Amino acid sequence: MNPFWNMSSAAVRKRSDNDEKIATGDQKISPPRSSSAKKQLPSIPKNAVPITKPISPSPSVQPTNGTHASYGPFYLEYSLLAEFTLVVKQKLPGVYVQPSYRSALMWFGVIFIRHGLYQDGVFKFTVYIPDNYPDGECPRLVFDVPVFHPLVDPVSGELDVKRAFTKWRRNHNHIWQVLMYARRIFYKIDTTSPLNPEAAVLYEKDVQLFKSKVVDSVKLCNSHLFDQPKIEDPYAIIFSPWNPVLHDDARERMLAQKKSEEQSKGLHVSGLSWVKPGSVLPFSKEENSLQT
Amino acid sequence: MSQILSASSRLKPVNLHGADSETCTMVFKNHWNQVQRILESHDPFKNTQAKYRSISADEVSAVQNYVEHMLMLLIEEEVTDAAMGPILEYVVSENIMEKLFLWSLRREFTDETKYEQLKMYELLVTQSHQPLLHHKPILKPLMMLLSACSGTSTAVVETKLAVLLNQLCSILAKDPSILELFFHTSEDQGAANFLIFSLLIPFIHREGTVGQQARDALLFIMSLSAENNVVAKHIVEGTFFCPVLATGLSGLYSSLPTKLDDKGEDWHCLLKEDCLQIPELIQFQNSLEFCNAVIQVAHPLIRAQLVDYIFNGFLLPVVAPALHKVTVEEVMTTTAYLDLFLRSVSEPTLLKIFLRFILIHQHEKVHILDTLVSRINTPFRLCVVSLALFRTLIGLHCEDVMLQLILRYLIPCNHVMVTQRSAVREQDCYSACAEKFLSLTPECCALTVSSTGYLERRQTMYSKFRQRTDSDDSKHLYEKDTLMDGDCAEPVDDNYLEYLWEAHENILNCLEDCKVWSAPYDGQNPDPEISLKALMEDNCRRGEFPTFRRATRHYMDSFSSETPSLGGKTLLDLEWDDSYDTGMSPDSGSCSPQPSIDAVLPPEPPHHIQEMKRNAIMFIKGSYIEESDFQDDVMVYRLCAVKDAKDADMQNITDKNDIETNDQFTKPQEGNQTQANYNKNANLNEDTVKTQVKQTLPKVKIQLSPAADDISNMNTLSPDSEEFIARYDDMLNGLKTSTLEDVISPIHSLASPMEEDEDEFDKYSLDLPQAESIPSPFGPRDATIFSNFLPRPQTAPFTGPFISVVLSKLENMLENSLHVNLLLIGIITQLATYPQPLIRSFLLNTNIVFQPSVRSLYQVLASVKQKIEQLAATQQNFPVLLVEAQRYLLCRMDMPNQSADTFTKDNIAANTERKPAAAAAEAPRGVVQKAKEHRANPLLPLSGESKHIQNAMLAAALFPEFLKELAALAQEHSVLHSFHH
Repeated sequence: MNPFWNMSSAAVRKRSDNDEKIATGDQKISPPRSSSAKKQLPSIPKNAVPITKPISPSPSVQPTNGTHASYGPFYLEYSLLAEFTLVVKQKLPGVYVQPSYRSALMWFGVIFIRHGLYQDGVFKFTVYIPDNYPDGECPRLVFDVPVFHPLVDPVSGELDVKRAFTKWRRNHNHIWQVLMYARRIFYKIDTTSPLNPEAAVLYEKDVQLFKSKVVDSVKLCNSHLFDQPKIEDPYAIIFSPWNPVLHDDARERMLAQKKSEEQSKGLHVSGLSWVKPGSVLPFSKEENSLQT
Repeated sequence: MSQILSASSRLKPVNLHGADSETCTMVFKNHWNQVQRILESHDPFKNTQAKYRSISADEVSAVQNYVEHMLMLLIEEEVTDAAMGPILEYVVSENIMEKLFLWSLRREFTDETKYEQLKMYELLVTQSHQPLLHHKPILKPLMMLLSACSGTSTAVVETKLAVLLNQLCSILAKDPSILELFFHTSEDQGAANFLIFSLLIPFIHREGTVGQQARDALLFIMSLSAENNVVAKHIVEGTFFCPVLATGLSGLYSSLPTKLDDKGEDWHCLLKEDCLQIPELIQFQNSLEFCNAVIQVAHPLIRAQLVDYIFNGFLLPVVAPALHKVTVEEVMTTTAYLDLFLRSVSEPTLLKIFLRFILIHQHEKVHILDTLVSRINTPFRLCVVSLALFRTLIGLHCEDVMLQLILRYLIPCNHVMVTQRSAVREQDCYSACAEKFLSLTPECCALTVSSTGYLERRQTMYSKFRQRTDSDDSKHLYEKDTLMDGDCAEPVDDNYLEYLWEAHENILNCLEDCKVWSAPYDGQNPDPEISLKALMEDNCRRGEFPTFRRATRHYMDSFSSETPSLGGKTLLDLEWDDSYDTGMSPDSGSCSPQPSIDAVLPPEPPHHIQEMKRNAIMFIKGSYIEESDFQDDVMVYRLCAVKDAKDADMQNITDKNDIETNDQFTKPQEGNQTQANYNKNANLNEDTVKTQVKQTLPKVKIQLSPAADDISNMNTLSPDSEEFIARYDDMLNGLKTSTLEDVISPIHSLASPMEEDEDEFDKYSLDLPQAESIPSPFGPRDATIFSNFLPRPQTAPFTGPFISVVLSKLENMLENSLHVNLLLIGIITQLATYPQPLIRSFLLNTNIVFQPSVRSLYQVLASVKQKIEQLAATQQNFPVLLVEAQRYLLCRMDMPNQSADTFTKDNIAANTERKPAAAAAEAPRGVVQKAKEHRANPLLPLSGESKHIQNAMLAAALFPEFLKELAALAQEHSVLHSFHH
């Protein structure tokens, strides 16, 4: 069997309790659009539609032949790739993820908290994506070290993602939203139906004590920063103390690369276009090089 | 000649290193004194006897010997500092070179003498240790010699002259300070002129090494000109360089063969080896490449002038008429040449005029682009050659090309449902579109052949992926690796990874090339509304309505494909130039709210089109058909009249129209002759008649005055006239089915006598299904209902003639020959590689809902699928034949890719390594040629009863691969989109 499939199920610890009762902040994150928008189109007159084209694509097309089914891994793979590109595109501040080497269903990540109660916190986490993505449950997010937080399980370190995504809806929910949510809990603390009741109670009753516990927790997390990654994987995120020999050079190269990219912009012209911006007519661009 | 030979053999460098400079100078002066004595004895100014004495052979050879030795001394003289050596100083002060030149003039100035002198200077210039050309006493006689040689005709002298000029130019290029001197030495003789340059011009188009030397020399000067305004100005204003270069192209072009030898069945474009067989073509290519090189290095002034001359002196007067020659054969040859030229030209400035010529130039009032597009629909080799040309055009990734060919029809977003506009930008996150494409794989094609090369290929692919992973930081690639580690690839996926890989590469290439584009073409930018206006204005100027052509054409397309055509009927699809007859000529703008004079009186189709049609028919039938055979067009006019009358009633527009219709009925001349012209060859069926009916429609509205054919009328109805549009819509809505049937039904009764009338042509046209497929000639009525949502003129959505012709051709996949299909597939996958959301969504987004009249790629493919399934159901031993076809294709694939040089440009050449469908699309040539050579090869022959079945089986074998390619492109787009800004 394909380790691609096995990996995730082996790595994921099953959780028995689903907090379905909790109302969610779902709506703010992804305003519910009618998922059946396509079906609400004015009906297409029959005589104009070729017989072969399905009028409304059913959401879960069952593969009709064997040929079709074997492409499943490709679809999953590319769905996750597309999700990953979306994450990259979002440029969430202080959030970094990296899919693991062994499975695209497991992503390593880290969140840097830059202000607020959890300031200076660096929290490593792992995202587990169900293998029937995007039709399954929402992805799970587990912190390597259980952070002291009302929504983080003090034992497993798992974040209560479900409250934000009661039902994972393809096309509307994306993994970057999970990551954004994971970042937001550290800035805007919610105490309803907590996974860590102690944290919730303290936050409500004794903020000072809560704060100091948070500071301790941040310290604890940061002290484990240089630990070997929990899951051994070539692409796991590893921290190491600053080593000038190694890192100065790398840092310089990163900065230099950015500069040279900016410089080379506009210099390298490989394509062909004589269309003036804003025009839709060919050869509308003025030839200004002639007047030299 | 013996003198020359001896001279060159004796002029071997003597080792003078031992001798000291003083001795050398002494020897030199000594020699000169000897020479001078002989010279003076013949100088009429110094010796009154001179003119009576003839020069003896002894004297000649004595001078020659001395001079040779002197030259050796001069050449070998070395100086350490910047100062002149004593010998050179002596040469300069005594003006020795000029004296020698005058001496040679005094003798008979034969070709041999010229050769000697040229040789002498060549030696001096190339071998001397110190720079000589800076000194006027040396430069001036050289110039005099050169100008004396200018009129010469002996090949030997010409060769030497070219060599010397080449040397001089290369020295110039290295030391531009001499340039000034070159420029002004001749000032004494009058206007400043650049002699070396002028001398080179006659050699520009020369073949062989002389031409090559001269062209190289000119390139030296060209690159000099880039830095030097004076030189550039002189070349542009004072020489005929550019005109000679451009008109030379015309001259060389005219000597190219107008017909090419039969190059085998699947020949479709000129490859390198084809060119090598035609010496004239080699010469032309040399000159074209030279133009390209000049434009690459020369000063912008020269560049602009040359490009201008090539456009006005070559493309317009020579290529344009050649593209519209009378015989299909000639036109095909010209198209192939044009394609070759496009592939040979790499300089954007030069490419630009070629593209400008193809995209916006009109020949006899018809855009060349339209003509080229219409030729895709011909049943001849011209079709594949035209397809190959478009493949080249699309492969350029040029914004202007895509704009004219496709985007201008998509920008207004008329092709999508209004509610779906935003979907244009949507990404296919979950590979749903890929899934839909793959689900079109007919079950009967699911079985695949396992080929021997398959495992190895897979291995190489894997290692390729791995390498990529190591070197490339693109985040997602290692995930492919993961996938492969899993060894999950079942047989059916064997080459899917390759398709993905290739799609990835191609999309990235295209993304890179599209970075310079002016807009993202995402349905928002350019703005659909604003652009629509601009496009309409442009159309108005162009005198046609390409954005808003009738929808009817699509129906015609679907007709021909719905025809159950595999029953062994003659399948000559003589849809000759439909686009001209219906979709493309200005008169078809009847759906457009823009009335124009053209809508009233269709212009005469260009002469060449009519000619070609006639030729085509002769070609098809193998015999000449009298034109009168098609003359029975009175019926059509009657129909038009009936229709007009009806419309007139509906609109309560009375008298004037009656007059008009009567006019039309009684006097079918002039403009109406056009209708006669296209009806006589067109398939006389409902479509044609509907076309007529439809064309008459706007008349009701527009011909408010009898002088409707007056140009001024064009301005009386503003294109944007709200009222006009409203009335137009009303009219469309008013024409319910009943009205239509009334109009159409008489056609049948009228048409029947026509059929009896021995109209042989009908036998070659497709049988069209009668009742079921009669669509509203106005497009689906619902389109007008939707139009109520639109704040602007609703027009029949039209995705452009190119898309429509390519898709209709694709729909006939089973009837097409293999190479037509390969080209079509190649073109469509190339198009699907473009990252612009408008293009991508139109081709690859299967979820988006288009306007009912718009036919999508998915729909066309679905129809092909259906046909394949029909074939599988009816064709005996389908599986056996399919396996054979697959084997055949695999064989082609395993052949060495012979046409790697098909594409001379890097961006296209990058894609040479390919697999089944695509590989064949690029390299279909060598395969069948080989197949011919090795008829005994047990793998290659296909056993289908007929060519027809073979084609169908090959198409059936190609189809699943094509689907995989499209699916792969859809998947890669979903991942790569973020790289596009």
